[in-house]
Amino acid sequence: MTAEPVYEVLARSATVSLTATVIASLLGISLGTALALAGLPGRRLLTAVVNTGMAVPTVVVGLIVALLLWRSGPLGDLNLIYTVRGMIIAQVAIATPLITGITMAALQLLPPELPEQLRSLGANRRQLVLRLWIEARLPLLAAAMAGFGHAISEVGSATLVGGNIHGQTQVMTTAIVENVSRGEFGTAIVYGVILLVLAFVVNSLLASIQQRGAVWARN
Amino acid sequence: MGAELSLRAVRHRRGGRDVLSIDRLDVTAGERLAVLGPNGAGKTTLLRLLAAVEPPTAGRITVDALDTASGGVDLLRRTAYVTQRAGLLSTSALRNVELPLQWRKVPRRQRRQLAMDALDRLRVAHLADRPARALSGGEQQRVSLARALALDPEVLLLDEPAAGLDAQSRTVFFADLDRALGDRAITVVQVSHRADEALHFADRVIVLLDGRIHQLGTPDELNRRPVDTDVAALVGYENLIDAEVGPDGTVLVGEAPTGLTTDHPPGPVTVAAFASGVRLLPADWPGLPVQVTRVSPGPGHRTVAVAGVVSLLAHVPLGAGTLRAGLAVRATFDPALSTILPRP
Repeated sequence: MTAEPVYEVLARSATVSLTATVIASLLGISLGTALALAGLPGRRLLTAVVNTGMAVPTVVVGLIVALLLWRSGPLGDLNLIYTVRGMIIAQVAIATPLITGITMAALQLLPPELPEQLRSLGANRRQLVLRLWIEARLPLLAAAMAGFGHAISEVGSATLVGGNIHGQTQVMTTAIVENVSRGEFGTAIVYGVILLVLAFVVNSLLASIQQRGAVWARN
Repeated sequence: MGAELSLRAVRHRRGGRDVLSIDRLDVTAGERLAVLGPNGAGKTTLLRLLAAVEPPTAGRITVDALDTASGGVDLLRRTAYVTQRAGLLSTSALRNVELPLQWRKVPRRQRRQLAMDALDRLRVAHLADRPARALSGGEQQRVSLARALALDPEVLLLDEPAAGLDAQSRTVFFADLDRALGDRAITVVQVSHRADEALHFADRVIVLLDGRIHQLGTPDELNRRPVDTDVAALVGYENLIDAEVGPDGTVLVGEAPTGLTTDHPPGPVTVAAFASGVRLLPADWPGLPVQVTRVSPGPGHRTVAVAGVVSLLAHVPLGAGTLRAGLAVRATFDPALSTILPRP
């Protein structure tokens, strides 16, 4: 078996995690907003589900997604098991509860009079939500960062749903595990350092946007 | 032009109890109404219902003929609500004022002009580009008010807008508010727990206690004829003392004359007197026998505490004789600064 160049594995890791983060952010921020602001029926139950989702081990999420996507599973016809798209679905399932929970807390921590003040100033529902997101932009960015961190660092679901197939679904974390199991610690450490650098670069980028916003608001 | 406000059989419940209960209230277009009451009286609730940010549990509130329960954004856009905390967004002061105009689809150039005019009227135009949340409390309240006035609302609802300001800043703030409103015929409802703010500002004042209108009248009526001791205390009468009306209409405390007469029937009454309406006289004059217990300086006067047949606070002009603790004096009341209330 020819070893895949590391940059390809790295690119796949970044693609899977960033795509999952974007999708999970869209889902999580929307759901978190609905839970924080709208009087949804079953809100308490949904909040409990979200909080549980934040604490579920990623390998369990991976197992559930794998069972759903398995050839004989309920979504088997979609042929997503052992594919990058399947891995993205698993990572979305992992990151969404986290982003939802942080969004909900961020919006609930805004001054309580702010939504009704904005409504009384004539904001419609869309304008109101948009403005509240802008007000909570720093914790919302933190939510996305946490979601990305969760996605890029997890190994259980990537193995169960992706299968660690060389040249197709192997990502940095599964490559590290494989190298360690083969006793190739040096390679594993190199992969680990590269993964660390990737996480550092993405988070630094988001943190710099976040801090710029914080400094402006303070001055 | 201001809008008319009307409340009919309005009830509002929160936490299992009635927090507001108003059978009828009409505010005419362009009127300035102050709502005076202690904390927890239902003042902010009344304002929130008028602002249509929440519907009443029962009853009907209309702005002109529009029911607040069904008015939606169109109705909200006829009113402007300034909350106790400025509630500014984390952007520049100018953007804070511009944003609601943008929501109303005012063209960019025009909204910039309107926003700058409003900031200028409140004397904060020089802060337009500063981050709003970094401004002082007084500056933030001015920006908040400018944001409301830029919308040229028909109804302006003010919830203790100067609550966080010191006495001097409050005076300047209300002078600026007066000037900014100018001769605009906006209907204004202002909530306050301070009598000086409410009486200074309003055409009429309602006193709200436990969610109910306790008294409704002009500032002068409230000042001169509070209906009971609760209203008198809110209006700022420092002295509330038990007294008796004699057969000839003389008001006495025990056997001592108060200097007041009344057409109340003989029997128990309460004398409400401003501290500035208490006269301290030599001990051999007719009046209530009391002794000075404390003399402390106040702004433009000395505050003198006396005790004897009654305990009173008096404001004495600076330089009006020598008063010291232990001095025996007689106290009487100035009829122009006192009132007689029935005692239940």
